[in-house]
Amino acid sequence: MDFLVWLESTPIADAITTSVWMYATFETIHYIGLAMLVGSIMLIDLRLLGFARSLPLPSMLGLLPWVWAGFLTNVVTGSLMFIYNATSFGTNRMFLLKMTLMALAGINALVFTVAVARSGDRWLAAQQTPAGIKVVATLSLALWLGVMTAGRWMAYV
Amino acid sequence: MDFLAWLQGTAFASAVAETIWAYPLLETLHALGMAMLLGSLGLTNLRVLGYKPELPLLGTQELLPLAWLGFTINAASGLALFTSDAIYFFSSYTFRIKLVLIALAGVNAVVLAHKVFREPARSGAVASTGAKWLAASSLVFWVGAAVAGRLIAYTP
Repeated sequence: MDFLVWLESTPIADAITTSVWMYATFETIHYIGLAMLVGSIMLIDLRLLGFARSLPLPSMLGLLPWVWAGFLTNVVTGSLMFIYNATSFGTNRMFLLKMTLMALAGINALVFTVAVARSGDRWLAAQQTPAGIKVVATLSLALWLGVMTAGRWMAYV
Repeated sequence: MDFLAWLQGTAFASAVAETIWAYPLLETLHALGMAMLLGSLGLTNLRVLGYKPELPLLGTQELLPLAWLGFTINAASGLALFTSDAIYFFSSYTFRIKLVLIALAGVNAVVLAHKVFREPARSGAVASTGAKWLAASSLVFWVGAAVAGRLIAYTP
């Protein structure tokens, strides 16, 4: 709690409090970051699950840089908004749920990377997703939907 | 104005405004629909502009159902959010700008789909310059609509 109070007293928090446009700007950029992150993850996961088969699987996996760009955008804007709201967000159960779901989504992404590396790339060339990787793709969709839901709900608890 | 007052006086509007979970649920659906719409149309438009040329141009048509699903989710959730505070939203300049951007994006999408997908003779790997202009403006309109939507709460 001391740490949260300290965060809220930093010059960054002061600057956001004083400025009329900063918080709205961070929120808006966070929203665009969400579209980049969830939009591209959805395309990758749905393609792994068999949607839009005319689009080659390896090229769709090539959308991963968009996921990272969206993720980094939202880590930066999210941290700035957290600093401003540290004592309220830090004790908000929806925020804690959001962070937990994000950690699970991260572990899931790691499992995906390892599973793809282990399975060789024959299925990629054949464009046939193994069942295990379909489970990981479904979990990824569910977890990110959960992250969004918890994020939106933070303002209401 | 009478219509707006009637709208936000309906039982449905009060339910959205007063039920504890209705508003955040609708906002979450609206964000999900936005990600579907911007994700699928974003990739399609970027492909028209020459990004990832190994993706078959005509194959991006298969992303359109996702775009339509996102659009439908957002038309429905947006309408429900609108009813909860109809007079406020209608009098917001930012909300009006958002609607104009969506209308422009819609017209743009119809013309672009016609140019890229309905002219099989031109279905090669490279889109025409006209199609590229439409794709670039489509990206500007959709991102603009998302930005305007987020800013309604902060602007007149």
